[in-house]
This record gives sequence, structure tokens and C-alpha cells, in this order.
Amino acid sequence: MTKHWRGQVAFAPPEAGDDRLGITGLRAWRLREPVSGRRYTVVKLESRGGTVGFGEGGAAVGSDVAEAKAAVAGRRATDAEFIRHRLASFPAMEAAVNNAMLDLAARSANVPIYQYLGGPTRFKARVVARIEGEDEETLAGSVRRGMEQGVRAFSFPIPARDAMWRMQAYTDVIRRRLDHLKEAAGAEADFVLDAGATLTPGDASFIATAFERNHLLWLDEPTDVLTNDALARISDESVTPVGLGRAVHNVATFQNLLRWGCVDISRPSVGLNSMRQIRRMAAVAETHYVAVGPYHDGGPIGTVAAIHLAASLPNFFAQQVPQPLAERDRAMRTELTSGNQETAADGFAPLVNEPGLGIRVNEQALAKYSEETL
Amino acid sequence: MIRRAFLEAVAAAAGGLKYRIGCDCNLAPAAALPPGSDVFKDVGSKLRITGMKVFGITLDEKIARSDRPYVFVKLETNQGVVGWGEATLEGKASAAMACVNDLHDFIVGSDPMQSEHLYQLMYIGSFYRGGPVLGSAISGIDQAIWDIRGKVLGMPVYRLLGGPVDARGVRGYYHAQAWTLEAAKELGDETRKAGVTALKFQLPTYMEWIETNAKLTRAVKSMETIREGLGPDIDFAVDFHAKPSPSVASILVREIEPLHLLFAEEVCPPENVRAMQRVAKRSTTPLATGERLVAAYGFNELIELGVVDVLQPDIAHVGGITALWKVAALADAAGIRMAPHACEGPIGGVASLHVDAAIPNFLCQEICGAVASKEINSVWEDIMGFAAMRMVDGRYPLPQKPGLGFEIQEAVLKKYPFQGTRPFPPAFHADGSLAAQ
Repeated sequence: MTKHWRGQVAFAPPEAGDDRLGITGLRAWRLREPVSGRRYTVVKLESRGGTVGFGEGGAAVGSDVAEAKAAVAGRRATDAEFIRHRLASFPAMEAAVNNAMLDLAARSANVPIYQYLGGPTRFKARVVARIEGEDEETLAGSVRRGMEQGVRAFSFPIPARDAMWRMQAYTDVIRRRLDHLKEAAGAEADFVLDAGATLTPGDASFIATAFERNHLLWLDEPTDVLTNDALARISDESVTPVGLGRAVHNVATFQNLLRWGCVDISRPSVGLNSMRQIRRMAAVAETHYVAVGPYHDGGPIGTVAAIHLAASLPNFFAQQVPQPLAERDRAMRTELTSGNQETAADGFAPLVNEPGLGIRVNEQALAKYSEETL
Repeated sequence: MIRRAFLEAVAAAAGGLKYRIGCDCNLAPAAALPPGSDVFKDVGSKLRITGMKVFGITLDEKIARSDRPYVFVKLETNQGVVGWGEATLEGKASAAMACVNDLHDFIVGSDPMQSEHLYQLMYIGSFYRGGPVLGSAISGIDQAIWDIRGKVLGMPVYRLLGGPVDARGVRGYYHAQAWTLEAAKELGDETRKAGVTALKFQLPTYMEWIETNAKLTRAVKSMETIREGLGPDIDFAVDFHAKPSPSVASILVREIEPLHLLFAEEVCPPENVRAMQRVAKRSTTPLATGERLVAAYGFNELIELGVVDVLQPDIAHVGGITALWKVAALADAAGIRMAPHACEGPIGGVASLHVDAAIPNFLCQEICGAVASKEINSVWEDIMGFAAMRMVDGRYPLPQKPGLGFEIQEAVLKKYPFQGTRPFPPAFHADGSLAAQ
């Protein structure tokens, strides 16, 4: 029986049979970092041939995992298009499962994921660390620590706005934060202003224009009003590049943003889109001469996957990576990946030329930090 | 020579920068990365392309059109794995072969696992982006690279791309002609018997930019005859082959709406997308185009202006598997179906199947073959080692072997020696003026 999952797309029934890449099991761990509360889901796939694969997606609930288990039944680890459609309504699981399938297939073929996907297009990947902190000194400390770890670009949060402030006063507050962080980083660092979708299009345009001469890498997620008219206010009135898309998980939305010239850097989230889905988004962006800089505020397995993705894309610019403030969060991330360090050298993360993701995922640590194992 | 010497002397006087005169074209790039460069040594594979061969294949004129000798590309590697691709370009075989060789320095010595990097190198690194000659040369090399990748990774290319969407195969259509009702009925019976579900026909005549009642009526009548003869259960498309103007095409596609075509192809010349948009706005007949476009960029305008229902990039021209997949991704996001064009040789046809099988927005795959097997199919079987691009129950079976799924012996190709390029045969109107075709 043929099933229809989205639109008119009809996929044939599963037929993995005794294929060594046939998926035989799925386990999922719902994880939460102890201090930041950052949540993500890690999936492990087992195959008939004995090879396993791990993938990470954003926060998911038990019913999402149940959908994922039903989706992979009888499928091969290469049936990526089926999974992309079948789990389109469960984006965190689409990301986790499809990425785990890639890990499994690439491990089985004994190549790193980026080679499996047609890379490398580059031999290292630029990273932008997303710093955390409530006050200026904490943020500056994060920048200094990032610089010591080899990071050379930082995404910093826009300050909260007092309702009594005029726009110029608010702009001055933002500028003081930027100046403070620049002082902490030194001359060679670049910055992304993360507006966190908190501004009105008009205010975003004001700020984007005010910071043109600061040469921000980009103004990130300026507003949650993702209409063409609203976004045109920002992109028409300012030359500060605009990054958008952390909440988007379908390619058509990006295509529309690109069509109207609303975005300078596409920012699909690694937690909501598999590597294969982001490759489609990147293909669309490429024809508009727009770069891709995936958003990531998830776990360390997602970070590793994102670097593989970066090495397969021709129009990649930078990968955002979390830079947890708390030592306990950092320790958890290191433990999950068996000691892998999320560091950079001179602003770039190295590629790992090992099969699959190229790291050893620590299942004991997954169990230790899991809120729920499914 | 005097001028050159003078310029060099001026340059020398200016501090020895003799290569800075005129432009910065000779500035050293930020990082010089020739193929096989050490810069990827720690992150690439140990596989290297060690040789590139290009073959021109001319078939007997009675078997295949003389304007399109096949251009095949073979890549050899240091580990014995070889890859095959097709760079056939109608009326420009010699140019395509020369262009493949022009790309030699980008390819030989490189790591074939880096298919995306090499695609970018050939397309962007060539400075003059696109054009059918470069597009065809890139296509042949890119297909061969993917063939190697699939063989090395131990799976058919469509699996690498995330497929198959449907393991039973890829729906296809053959070319057909039927100028009378009787012939159309006969064809319908033959088509049903073979399990084929779709066919494509041509317009009966060339078209001027404004047409007479007689020719318009003849064209519409021919399509009505086809529908009547085939019956309602066989899909058919009509290739207008860019013969009519937008004005004439508008009349035709409006009048054939009741026939429910699978699509009308290249209803007017392809250069001016807004002109084609006029036709699209005036009819519900699905429109298809794209066979003459190179790389994914050019397809954006067709999508964004709402001109097309079906895109038809040709894997032998658009930039191979890499570019065809990208066009499909653009189309998928916009809800547009893919019916890749293929009217060259068997390698491109088979390579197309791999992309077709991995894209959810696939509609139908063309091949220049007929319901009844012909002599050309024997030649293709001779070359490919199997009955390439012949449907079973309306589908092209998916290759099961790694890579593109076939091996070609060079000795077989020698049976069909290249006999030079011949142009696409021109056609003329009654007054001697050139007709579009």
C-alpha cells in the first residue's frame, strides 16, 4: 500500500529486507543541560549490519519519538527523502533521525559525513559563538574565554529595552555593549547582534541603519514579523546584513524570503532541520547569492553534525555554536561526546576526517543526563 | 610587440610590477589551491583522479540524428575505480569535447569525493559561467564523478541522494507520432500493451510569430486527434519546441485545455521569461520548459514569475547530477514538478534516473525512444551492456549496482568512431525565412 504524507508525494512501502543498512531500532534520549536548561534530543539508530548512527535534534516530546519510531520501521538508513517528508511535522525528530541515518550510512561506507555529502568544500569551518550572560561583565568574560578557545566571532544578545527609552537612547545602550565586547575581544573579533526576534520592523530598521558603520557580520533575527512588507522595511532601509530563519523548518519559507530580498544570510536551525533539509535550503540560497549560517543552540552532537554540513556546502559562511557559561553544562557536553572539545583555531573549527560524525557518543552519559529515555 | 615591451618597461620602472598593468587579473589569489592541493590532505580521501578521456560516438544516420554524436567522459582513478558521464551537446559535439579537455587541469589530480567543490571549481572557476558548451562539459565530468562516488561508497547514486522515493522505478515517456486517427488508435493500443503510461508528440508544422487560421486549426486538430486516438487513460505531452511566438502559443494552449495535456513544452522561445509568462497567464494547460538552461540560477526566474508547472533541465547540459538535484530542490520548494529532458545518449538518461528516483517532486522522465524497440536500442545495449532506458510497466527500472550502475568497455566505443560535428538541421518557412525549431 502506498501512503501519502505531504501534498501529492507518494512513497513506496518499506523494503529494506535484509539490507545491512536496514534500520532495526531507534532509541531516543531527551536531554537538558543542568544550568542553562538547554534542551535537545539525541537519537540512536541500529542497523541490521550492526552499524549504529547518532543524530541530534531540538527538544521533542514522547509522542514525537513515537512518530519517529513508526517512521523508520522497515526503512533503510539511506531513505532520507522518505523521513524528511514523513517527519515534516516533527522537525526536531526529522533533524535527529535524518542526521542519525547519515551518521550510520557514512560510518558504514567508512567515510566522514561531509564526504558522503559531496564535500569537503572547505577544510575548516568558521564559527560564531553565541555568548551568554545577563550583564556586561559576564558577557565580556564569555568573549575573553571564547578568544582563548580560538573563537573570533561572537553573537551577543541585544539588551532588554526599557519601555521609557527613546530609540536613540536604546541604540546607545546597544552600542555601549558592543564597544565593551570589542574591548574585551581585541581588534580581530567580529560580532553578530542577536535581536532574538524582539524588535518591531521599524525599530529593527532604525538599529540596522545606526550600526551600518560598525560592520556587524549581521543583525540576527531582528523581528518575528516574517512578512515580506515588514522585512522589506529593514532590508530596504539599511545595508547591515540581516540573518533570518532560526524558527523556519520548510524550504519554501526561505525561498520566499530570498525571493523578496529580505535576507542576507539564511539561518536554518540545526535543531529543526536535518543536514539534508539544510542542504536544500542552501541550494535555494545559492541561486540568490546568499550565504548560509546555520543557527544552533542545542547540544554538542548537533555542533559536530553542523561542521560536517558546513564542509559540504558551497555557500556556507559561519556556524553558530553555543558557548555555555556554566562549567556543569560544558562538562556535560564534553562527556556526551567522550571528551570532544568544542573549540576553534583562529576562528575556525577543524574537520574530523573519521567515519560518520567522527566522534564517539557516550551512551552512559546520555543515560546520565537524560530526562527521559524512549 | 612594441606596445607590450613599452608596458613592461613602464611596469618595471614602477617597481617591477609588470603584471599589474591593466587589471588585477594576475594578482595571486588569497590561497592558491590547485587540484590535489595539500590544503585538503587531512580532510579529503586518498582517492585521486589520474586520467580523463573524452569519446565522440557517431552512430549511423539511419539510427540516430546526425546532429548529436554522443560525447562520453571517462574518469580514471589511482584506485582503479572509473566513472562515466555524458556531455553530448546537439550540434556542438566538437566544442563540448574540447571544453571537457579544457577542464582537465581542474579535474586530473583532484579528489573525486569532493563533487560539490569540483562542480564549483568548473562552474565558477571557469569565469564565464554557464553557456551550453561549458554546461555540457561540466555535466559529463560531474556525472562521472558521481559514478565514482557511488562505486566507492558501495551504493547506487540515488541512495546517496536520499532515495528511492519509489523503488519500483521511474515513470517515463517515449516519443511518438500519429498524424491520423487510425494511427493514434493503433499507437494507443501498442502503448497500453507495453504498459507505458505517457507519450510526447510534436507540433505538426513550424510556426511564424502570427499564424494563419489554417495552421492554427491544423495544430489544434492534430492534438485533438491524438487525444481521441489514445483515449483518456494515456497521458500525453506536446513539445512545441519553441516554434510559436507567445501570441501564437497563447491561442494554442488555450484551445487545447479540454485535452488535459500532461504538459505543453517550450511553448515559445526560451530567452524571455516574461514573454513566456504571458502564455502562462492565459491558460490552464500546464507549461514545461528548462532544457536549454545551465546551472540552477536560471531557473529562479521561471519559478518566481509563476511561468512553469514542470521544469525540464537536461542532465547533459545543466551541470550533471549536482546541478539537476539543485534545480529539483528549488522546484520542490515552489511546488513545481520535474520532468528532466533527455534526448541524447544512454549515459545521461541513466544518470537522470538516479536523480529522478531521489526527488519527491518528480513527474516523468523523457528519453528519445519509441514504444517499439528500434535499432538504436540495440546499439545502446551494445554500449551499456543492458537494455538501457527501456521501460517495464511504464517505469524505467532503477539500477541496482553501485554508482550509476553500469560499466562501459572502451573497445565497444571504437565501433562507433567520431565523425565530426554536424549542425542542428535548419528549417525554413514558405518564404525562405528561418523557422524556429
